[in-house]
Amino acid sequence: MNILFDDRAQKNDKVEGQVTTFLNQVTTLEAKHNMLVIIFQDGASGAYYIKSSLLASDAAKLCDLDAKLDVSSSESYRANRQLFLKHMTYQRMVADALKGREFNDIIVEYNVEYTQENPLKVWGGQHRIKAISEAYTKSDRYHGFRIYFNLNKDQRTEIALVSNTNISVSNDTFDRMIEETIFGGALRKWCQKVELLGEKEDFPDVGSRSEKITVKKARSFVVNFYLGKRRGQELNSDKLDRNVYEPYLVDTGVKTGTDREIIADPTYEEIMNQYDILSDEALLKAGQRFLALHNEQYRAVLDTKTSIKNAKSYRNKAFVESVLCGWSYVAGLLQFHPERLENHYRIPKTSSKIPDPLNAEEMSKYKHDKDGPTYRGLGTRSALSDRQRIAQLFLAKSLEENVAIDQKFMDKAVSQVIGLLSLSQGYA
Amino acid sequence: MREFRDYIRYALKYLSLAEEKNQKQEDAEWLLIPAIILAWSAMELFVNNRCADLNSLPSDMFESHERAFLQEKHLRFEDSGDNIGKFVLKGNEYQALENKIFFLLSKMGSQNTTSLKDGTLWQRFKSFKEIRDSLAHPRRDKDIILHPQNVREHIETAKELIQEISERIWNTKLDF
Repeated sequence: MNILFDDRAQKNDKVEGQVTTFLNQVTTLEAKHNMLVIIFQDGASGAYYIKSSLLASDAAKLCDLDAKLDVSSSESYRANRQLFLKHMTYQRMVADALKGREFNDIIVEYNVEYTQENPLKVWGGQHRIKAISEAYTKSDRYHGFRIYFNLNKDQRTEIALVSNTNISVSNDTFDRMIEETIFGGALRKWCQKVELLGEKEDFPDVGSRSEKITVKKARSFVVNFYLGKRRGQELNSDKLDRNVYEPYLVDTGVKTGTDREIIADPTYEEIMNQYDILSDEALLKAGQRFLALHNEQYRAVLDTKTSIKNAKSYRNKAFVESVLCGWSYVAGLLQFHPERLENHYRIPKTSSKIPDPLNAEEMSKYKHDKDGPTYRGLGTRSALSDRQRIAQLFLAKSLEENVAIDQKFMDKAVSQVIGLLSLSQGYA
Repeated sequence: MREFRDYIRYALKYLSLAEEKNQKQEDAEWLLIPAIILAWSAMELFVNNRCADLNSLPSDMFESHERAFLQEKHLRFEDSGDNIGKFVLKGNEYQALENKIFFLLSKMGSQNTTSLKDGTLWQRFKSFKEIRDSLAHPRRDKDIILHPQNVREHIETAKELIQEISERIWNTKLDF
């Protein structure tokens, strides 16, 4: 078989060796007709690939839908989003494949470092591969593949991201890929340790459809704990209640760095580089107490004996970005003020009038004069003003042991934020 | 929880009913009086809430006389008892709305406070106050006649003054 490097590709013996091995393993359309195989090199990432046509029956046997970003780690999880096998688009793909549709530009990576029997790791076109696999016994056609060789982790992640830009892949899935590429599995492990995730569970593909913590929220929790801790270290107890705090919301998605292809939120990167989150007992405790609050809120809303509407936004009130960020920031802030920290960790008092600790329904109705008619209530959004208000709410709660978050309490906390901002900056 | 916007809305509702009655040449005064009172209450509520914003802060962030002002209490020197020799807040001492406005503007405002007092809006506010006072504290020798058009202007004054305060202390234009 004739193998040739494209003019724009730098010759690479390892790549050539891998391509040869692959072509000896499978009879491609090119091999069948003794055609020339050209090795290309992507200008942006430097990744090597060939274009080739494979029979559906071969593709079904060789492809692996559980592709991993970090091949060296046994703890790396399946990176792709879940398959939507009941989706109309997928059903249509299967029907087309049965009729003999020939698909093209399926993106795979040749990799024998894990699951050797399926060396073609699918990065783009997993639904097409699944459809082909279902149909090949009835219609065995050639399909077009782009097959990458000798990828490193960054190249692999970039290919996974680029391959998914033209379909509706959520930011949560992107975040999960980036997280694993840059930081490995530390954040996931931390969430598993806290039990925000199950023992073998991964972050959800789409946070809005799930009731689990997402990468973005877990990152925000960690970042706010440390930012709060740093700020708390600077303040004596008599100064704690005289400031407006600004819990941080970690940016989602992918950024392009100047020195690296892929970077995550810079504040998160800085925190992760400075702290070992898996060995920080204080962070672990904060996570566990937060989970206890979430669980209690969830249970109270589900409880049929309470009058509260069983709405997802009420059940998961603790997971609303402003609530999560504000709570975590205050947990960090009070690390040097143990009595107030314990008060913060106490689940807010409930009663027949306030059946859930976060009083979700009342919060969603709360409004300050400054808020316009379209304002959706306290702790319902991710905006900075909402994060500031929630931080103040939890900080005020930490002043006493047994606090119920009623409307009067919310009003006091929000008024404090508005008052402090008006005094200190001239504007709230 | 009723907010200032509700009071403005109610005032406009009364005014609208009064205009209908007026067109039919029916008595409308019984609708115009509450419209005036409600529009005034909207301003009171807004200003009182801003005082409450400040009042919610740690008490030592203000001087004693400022706290007394914000809480509308009398600041009294104690010459006997447990608090002898100290200033304590005791009994109510209500503040006029205009005083509270100027206190807020001088404490939090971004512009020269006197510029408000020199402007036409403040002149309109004073006319509004006169009408409202004569309705809230009626006297035989100070009878007034209300017209829907004047009442509309007073409601507008209430809205504009609230807006002016908001812009000065928050740099925010409010939606009504």
